[in-house]
Amino acid sequence: MSIMENNGGSVIAMVGKECVAIACDLRLGNQALGVSSDFQKIFPVTDRIFLGLPGLGTDVTTLKELFRFRVNMYTIKEEREIEPETFAHLVSSTLYEHRFGPYFIEPVMAGLSKTPSGGFKPFIAATDLIGCLNFAKDFVVAGTASSKLFGVAEGLWEPDLEPEDLFETISQTIMNAVDRDAYSGWGCIVHVITKDQIVTRTLKARMD
Amino acid sequence: METSFAITGKGYVIVAADTTAARSIVKMKTDEDKIKALGPHLLMAYSGEPGDTVQFAEYVERNIRLYQIRHHYSLRPSAAASWVRRSLAESLRSRHPYSVNLLLGGYDEASDEPKLYWIDYLGTMTEVPFGAHGYGSYFALSLLDRCVKKYLVISGALICHSRYHNPDATLEEGIETLKRCIDEVAKRLIVSPSKYKVKIVDKDGVREIEL
Amino acid sequence: MSRSYDRALTVFSPDGHLFQVEYALEAVRKGTCAVGVRGKDVVVLGVEKKSILQLQDPRTVRKVVMLDDHICLAFAGLTADGRVLIDKARVECQSHRLTVEDPVTVEYITRHIAGIQQRYTQSGGVRPFGISTLLVGFDPHDSKPRLYQTEPSGIYSAWKANAIGRSSKTVREFLEKNHKDDLSREEAIKLTVKSLLEVVQTGAKNIEISVMESYGKITHLDLAQIEGIVSDIEREKEAEAERKRSRLAATAAGQAAMATRAGDAASGTS
Repeated sequence: MSIMENNGGSVIAMVGKECVAIACDLRLGNQALGVSSDFQKIFPVTDRIFLGLPGLGTDVTTLKELFRFRVNMYTIKEEREIEPETFAHLVSSTLYEHRFGPYFIEPVMAGLSKTPSGGFKPFIAATDLIGCLNFAKDFVVAGTASSKLFGVAEGLWEPDLEPEDLFETISQTIMNAVDRDAYSGWGCIVHVITKDQIVTRTLKARMD
Repeated sequence: METSFAITGKGYVIVAADTTAARSIVKMKTDEDKIKALGPHLLMAYSGEPGDTVQFAEYVERNIRLYQIRHHYSLRPSAAASWVRRSLAESLRSRHPYSVNLLLGGYDEASDEPKLYWIDYLGTMTEVPFGAHGYGSYFALSLLDRCVKKYLVISGALICHSRYHNPDATLEEGIETLKRCIDEVAKRLIVSPSKYKVKIVDKDGVREIEL
Repeated sequence: MSRSYDRALTVFSPDGHLFQVEYALEAVRKGTCAVGVRGKDVVVLGVEKKSILQLQDPRTVRKVVMLDDHICLAFAGLTADGRVLIDKARVECQSHRLTVEDPVTVEYITRHIAGIQQRYTQSGGVRPFGISTLLVGFDPHDSKPRLYQTEPSGIYSAWKANAIGRSSKTVREFLEKNHKDDLSREEAIKLTVKSLLEVVQTGAKNIEISVMESYGKITHLDLAQIEGIVSDIEREKEAEAERKRSRLAATAAGQAAMATRAGDAASGTS
């Protein structure tokens, strides 16, 4: 059994019009046995960045704590909040530090980055478990349901979705993908980030 | 085979662990206490590789006590669980990792809530309303789940059959639920443990009960 | 010339002194006074409390600390050094329990502390701890009270009663004069307070008393209790002084009477 599938779990992020969305399931399993239906895999980094950490359960918590530490140190030293692009490289280099004994996590990031004109530009990225960055223009997926997520997202996603439509798209994508994956599911949570607010919704999902 | 359960109820956590110490197919001992009181309001049930378990549990116990002496107050259950988890996570990538699975139950005096954490030897941690380790978990968890299902059907109405898990159950109901878990394991598991030690933590502290 | 022996503390002066260690003892002499008294089945620690500033939180200034359930420590000297040494001792207490499943004995932890203090007089790039400590407590499975002292040099020794810090010499001499074997709980507390009053002018509010009666049973007296003891002592002293005064007066009166009588006799013959 692959280490990446030990605990199960999936994350997806999507770009919309001046907004981004990121969603994950809530299952934590021990192989095929479900242990928890309230295991968050997405964590706020700043007011405009979220980080999803699907993969090995222990590393989800360890990396959450490690990134909290590194981002706090960055904020204190730089006296400003970290930008999504910078954060993506922080994630990448942190994972690559462990090139030959990696954390078994494939992070997914979503955020809004500041433009020189003072506006905000949607930003999503994902890396593999040793920190190879993938900046996508449409959506990024990771976790045990990633292959299913790719399929559904490919069919549902379209450019320039408004926040509400983006929420609907990402929700349908994750719920349907996760239903086809034995290791993901047991509830979903979705965050939609716009320039002036973050909307977090827990979806009413199948619990079997 | 080694089995441990823990369930939360209204203002308490019950932690139960079997009392057998086995070496291969032989029972060496049937009165082993595998639940440690880590503080006035904290219990830890440990199972896994013999040797590692006691060694790690005592290491945790002494560090939690040192924290109390240094700071003149106990760690809250959530903080203690985080510390234990980190110890295991660091151990996992060391040359000789501990293989110990834990159920950490405590009563948080600051928020007046019972807390239960499921932690495995990898350092995976999650807060749960009920949890189990070992072969017994396959039977006990599904049994305890029936209550959660019922919530969904009744949608909000907190009329729950006292024999399944209910976060608002009284202590008596909780103990009944625990007995059902033990009976289920005894009925279905080939090599089921014969005796359990049961401890309770609530606002009055830690105590042991006989079933 | 002698200045060059101050630099590296691992170097002896020609007459066999380690100056830095002696300066550390000087820091101890400047610290607030602490007294330990061993009774029949009780041991008492008393310390002189620096009066805290008006806006300071008194709970954050501690001179008597627990090392484990059954061992209590008081120190005199640099508080910051004390904190470091105390932490090392606490870790050792837990580590000892972890490795051999038994609590430390008072002698063991004293030796450990003294060992650390000695190490800091013999290695490069460090300075000695500017503190002396008094350790009190009970050994596991034993009812005999214990009292130990350590010094910056790493010397440690057991005592019936002892004092460290400011004016410790005066207090020690007082204890030598007044200590008896097999003191009861009340007597031991009283002797501790009395000896501290030798150096603490401000009375009860600057005295802290901790009493250990058996393994793990420790009580810290509150201000009212200490005030009670202090006033008892003062009353006794007053009574003693009164007796002295009346005795003096009686003698004086007697002498005067004798003188008058002598005078009378003299006049009688005339």
